[in-house]
Amino acid sequence: MMAKMHDISLKIGPAAFRIASTWQRPLDQLTDLYKAYPAPTGETVDFTVRLEPEKPWRRFIRPSVHIGGDFWLPDAAPLPLDQGLLAAEMGMNLQMALGWRRHLLLHASSVEKDGKALVMTGLSGSGKSTLSAMLAERGWRFMGDEFALLSLDSGEIMPFPRLISLKNRAIDAMQDIASENRFGPEMKATPKGDIRHLVPPPDAIERMNEPATPALLLFPRFGHAPELRPMGQAEIFVRLTQASTNYVALGEAGFRALTRFVDDVPVKAMDYQSIDQAEELIDALWSPLP
Amino acid sequence: MTQKYRAAAKDDLIWHDLDSMTLLYHRPSGITHMLADPAPAILEVMNEAVLSTVEIAERLSARFDLESNIDTENIVLARLEELSRLGLVAPVPA
Repeated sequence: MMAKMHDISLKIGPAAFRIASTWQRPLDQLTDLYKAYPAPTGETVDFTVRLEPEKPWRRFIRPSVHIGGDFWLPDAAPLPLDQGLLAAEMGMNLQMALGWRRHLLLHASSVEKDGKALVMTGLSGSGKSTLSAMLAERGWRFMGDEFALLSLDSGEIMPFPRLISLKNRAIDAMQDIASENRFGPEMKATPKGDIRHLVPPPDAIERMNEPATPALLLFPRFGHAPELRPMGQAEIFVRLTQASTNYVALGEAGFRALTRFVDDVPVKAMDYQSIDQAEELIDALWSPLP
Repeated sequence: MTQKYRAAAKDDLIWHDLDSMTLLYHRPSGITHMLADPAPAILEVMNEAVLSTVEIAERLSARFDLESNIDTENIVLARLEELSRLGLVAPVPA
């Protein structure tokens, strides 16, 4: 027996999603948080994400959300219903990571100034997402906190400015500077820690179809004395292939896009302990750029 | 009978130099290889010819300024065995 599904469509940068859910509430939260985004044009979407009960009877008793879609991982654990918004966001990320083929996808945040993009990549906990959110409140255009989409033809970075996913300490830090009406509900003790979503600044959404030329790549590392270090090209290349979810799938086009990126874009490893330190280091690198 | 080898076809390979390594994209497999010296030089001098380790060592000596006291043939043989496992070189039956 199939329960009736509710659904909404969302357009984020170049990707259109249909989110279908057994429950209305996660969709209401998404509709509210994405209300400034343009509706997808045309009939088709790139991906469908489904939020369904783990078992039919669990729709009513301690409901638990199973994430499904065009692409999925068998070990994606179900989440409690009050984390349905997180499930939807995770589902959208999963579809992009596993299914997107029009760009080389890098697990990286990016911000833009003067038509040029600063790309930041690193492991979870490096602070790349928080840095992009903070810089977006300090004169940079936010392009994305999760995926940087590298064009296979032009070498430009395409924005993917979905909701900013704030974790743990970053929630307090952003609550101090961003207005309350930009925040989604706080979700405590999720599999990713405490999570609260933040709507990107208006210019990030208005200009979400405007690419930028990558001008600087940073590997930030939070919690160490401020320092910039050079990195060798071989290490950079390997770490970017690890940061890409579709490098292998794109074959020769991915190889050509990534080698061009490594050839053209200056790179530094950046240690920092505060956003002010990071901003100072970034400004020093940014101002001499052509 | 001396074992001979042939490198992957030129059209199947895309070369890209990084600062300390050489990337080699192998079209038929879709695999990106990251090679350290002297593997790229060995593939370069083989140039689609069918060659023995002695002949490859000779070509390397002619092209590059090799140290005189190293056992070039054995180094070439060890690298050829590695490159064979990667599918970038194939032993040619006599």
